[in-house]
Amino acid sequence: MVALAIFTYGVLLAESDETLCDQVANYTMDIRLDTERHLITGSEMLTWTNTSEKPTEELWFHLYWNAFQNNMSTFIRERAFDGRPEPQFSKDDWGYCRVSSINMVIGESEEEFDLTPFIEFRQPDDGNVLDQTVFAVELPEALEPGQTITLKIEFQAKVPRPISRTGVYKNNYFIAQWFPKIGVLQDGIWNCHQYHAHSEYFADYGTYDVKITLPSSYTVGATGELREKKTNQDGTSTHRFVQHSVHDFAWTASPHFLVYRENFSFAPGLTIDITLLLQPYHKRLKDRYMNAVKHAIKYASLLFGNYPYTTVTCVDPAYNSHSGGMEYPTLFTGGATFLDRMGSGDPESVIIHEFGHGYFYGLIGSNEFEHAWMDEGMTSFLDTEIYYTAYGEPYMTKRYFGIPVLFKTARIPIELDEYHGISEYRQTSDMDDMQRFSWKFINGASYTSNVYFKSELMMRTLKRYLGTDVFSDMIKDYSEKWWFNHPLPKDFYDIVKAHAGQDMSWLLDQLIHGSENLDYAITSIQNKQKRKSRGWFDGIYREDEQDQSEHRIYESEVLVRRLGGVRIPVDVLVVFQDGKTIRERWNGQYRWKKYAYSGPVKIKQAVVDPDFKLVLDIDRTNNSWTLNPDRLSPWKWTSTWLLWLQHAMECLGFFGS
Amino acid sequence: MKFWINFLKGFRLTAKTARMVLLLFIINLTFALVLAVPMYYSLKDSFGNSLVGERMAKGFDTLWWHEYRDQSEGIEKTFTPFIIGKGAILNNLEMLVQMKFFELPPIILVFGLVYILFHTFLAGGILSTFNKDPPRFALRSFSEGAGRYFFRFILVVLVSWLFFFGLLGSLNQWFNSIVNKVAENAFSEITPFYLSLLFNIFIFVFLLLFRMIFDYSRITIVADGERNILRAIANAFEFVIKNPGSTLSLFYTVFAVNVVVTLIYILIKSLIPQTNAWGVLFAFIFQQMFIFAVVWIRCWLYASQLELYKFIPKEI
Repeated sequence: MVALAIFTYGVLLAESDETLCDQVANYTMDIRLDTERHLITGSEMLTWTNTSEKPTEELWFHLYWNAFQNNMSTFIRERAFDGRPEPQFSKDDWGYCRVSSINMVIGESEEEFDLTPFIEFRQPDDGNVLDQTVFAVELPEALEPGQTITLKIEFQAKVPRPISRTGVYKNNYFIAQWFPKIGVLQDGIWNCHQYHAHSEYFADYGTYDVKITLPSSYTVGATGELREKKTNQDGTSTHRFVQHSVHDFAWTASPHFLVYRENFSFAPGLTIDITLLLQPYHKRLKDRYMNAVKHAIKYASLLFGNYPYTTVTCVDPAYNSHSGGMEYPTLFTGGATFLDRMGSGDPESVIIHEFGHGYFYGLIGSNEFEHAWMDEGMTSFLDTEIYYTAYGEPYMTKRYFGIPVLFKTARIPIELDEYHGISEYRQTSDMDDMQRFSWKFINGASYTSNVYFKSELMMRTLKRYLGTDVFSDMIKDYSEKWWFNHPLPKDFYDIVKAHAGQDMSWLLDQLIHGSENLDYAITSIQNKQKRKSRGWFDGIYREDEQDQSEHRIYESEVLVRRLGGVRIPVDVLVVFQDGKTIRERWNGQYRWKKYAYSGPVKIKQAVVDPDFKLVLDIDRTNNSWTLNPDRLSPWKWTSTWLLWLQHAMECLGFFGS
Repeated sequence: MKFWINFLKGFRLTAKTARMVLLLFIINLTFALVLAVPMYYSLKDSFGNSLVGERMAKGFDTLWWHEYRDQSEGIEKTFTPFIIGKGAILNNLEMLVQMKFFELPPIILVFGLVYILFHTFLAGGILSTFNKDPPRFALRSFSEGAGRYFFRFILVVLVSWLFFFGLLGSLNQWFNSIVNKVAENAFSEITPFYLSLLFNIFIFVFLLLFRMIFDYSRITIVADGERNILRAIANAFEFVIKNPGSTLSLFYTVFAVNVVVTLIYILIKSLIPQTNAWGVLFAFIFQQMFIFAVVWIRCWLYASQLELYKFIPKEI
């Protein structure tokens, strides 16, 4: 009965336009793509409600594509300082988004008040006057809380050569962050940042109803459901896509796409329409793409709540389109090469990752400008969990002459974090705190390392520290509770506290707002035969015989050290030669701790954090100490390396005689 | 079937001088061991008293390797999971064809240069041993031959470098720039991939071809006593041009043997469990047998080519 009820609800939800949340920013657009000039022209009717508790006298908008209109934008400037080459664009390669007019539609009379003269570019983040990615318009009168305004905006957007996951390459269009988009008003202050090299997006939820007109030879994929497709007499077609309860709208168009559609039942009574837009040269990857999407939907629903939309479109990005590996509501891009081998992680991992963003970027709506880790880190955690559940550990892979070769003796454990995350984190761990505005990290490496890797490692550490059950409940609760609500870091703290049964800010503060390393180590084990007593004891001189029997007593000591700055309680496992084990619990606060034992057997080995809960530990090798280290390993691996060297020398000898 | 006769003759000749092959193998091993000692201690230090050693005895601990890699310097940087099994061979093949050896740590590069010099020195010994009638390996005559031809062989090597690095190296760079340019405007990754593969095959074929011509240059120096290097190279070139079927068949047949031996090595090596001392020892012995086979094939090639050169009557 319950399943039937859920199913009925799902069907009703799908067929009606019942929304999932308050629709704050609603866009009705009618646009036309000129494929000769790569130009989008059109209008948008924006209905926006002031959900803040304070009135506002102006409206702020993003014009993301103006980041690509010249080389002086903040986006291009920051990229250059991060060591990336300036785009070598010719006159027609630059992109932009220009507002021709913006009119306020007044009441039912639909009279219009022209706000165009009041457009003013703003640079709230860096004061770069040449950056035109944000503009504001002053309203004739303040818009009170709860009031709704309707604006009619005419705009023209020039599609750039591919840059930052948007643009056109050989008739393959990927169109994202392309229209004048209103910012988010929070407590009477506009949260509307400039476009930065290392930041993504933030917006309010609403309904998008978008008509796209372009040549009929093009296949179109977009956010939402295709409600209507009309063929026009001028050789064009108009595609109408509608989606409620989302905060963005992206679309793609190409005459080359292979289109595959499947209806997938991912939970009792719940189905979803999957559309796969595949490049013709990746046809052999069709099943792998489709299966990865299905795994992603199924497992993400189990872990983070049932996916609530009725469609999802997975786009295999065109070669050189620079649009791979990116997420938009109900639409995302994967990324593959035609030789990708099963077991290498490609392209499955990126597909799962980008779908996963549908939760933390899409449904939860984390502010990627200000708390990027709440999206990227959590999504990375999600994708790793799902990939390893669905496919197991991937293999180390290297390309020779462009052909991927799997090394089945070298698997990639989950603790390595996204293939190399722990390594990246180790090298930049003390450069920045994880909680920084995206453009305020010291460099791109630190941004990536903190936002993606450290935060994923933190999530995994938290999972192991709290226990799988507690963590799973916590993360699912977090996900569902904050759908459509733009949580802040403190909201994450609260949910962790609620599920852990204790305030965890002592740990979260260190990891989120700190940049210290986590490194616990066993640095020595000592076993000494108990010394004989010698000297004056209570006024009596004694000189005991050394115990030569088989029942000697040993005084043993294990030294555990905290080499990093992060303090966290940690277990220490001590193993004695007779197989007996003792598990100690150290609060991990001071710099070191000694554990002393006395008994008939010596300590054989000790391991700090034996259950590998602290995935953030930057040096796992020093976590254990054994009195009898394996002596074979260095020989084995030197011998393996020796063969490579001998063969390399023979190859070098090729250039001799 | 001239090439086949001389191919077999070459094998017999090599078998008769197996002690020489052994000497060349020992030289290779000795050179490599000089660098293997610091690598052994580096690994031993890194494993330390940790349980990583136990895990690495059973398999490959990727987490440990990332830690090791992040701290590594010099030769340590070359220790990767990609040297396991087929990886070692593929790494070196790619390094050879794409001339990536300049990416090797300087210490290995210096060793490689010294090894090339040694190789050049030994080549005189190898060819003079095969050129004797009857062929017989004696350390003294081997050394005499090595010394006698060393200077001329060095000059041949220097000229060959003009072809290898000057011509093919530049060609390689040019090809790369073409691939990059094609990739910039390609419809898919498939075109640049196949183009790159084609260029790599082209370079490899010409590497082998040039190598063969320079082999015959050395052979003319030893067999005909040619003292003029340029004339030796010209004679070798003429010989190959006039006898393309025999020379190429012989060269590529020996090369094919090398490929087969390598494949057999990769296959069997993957079946040897190195989880205990016996396994490690057996794997080590097997690896050395493989290197011995590679050295053997190198001598076999020389012997066969020398026999072919002597077999084909010269025009007067």
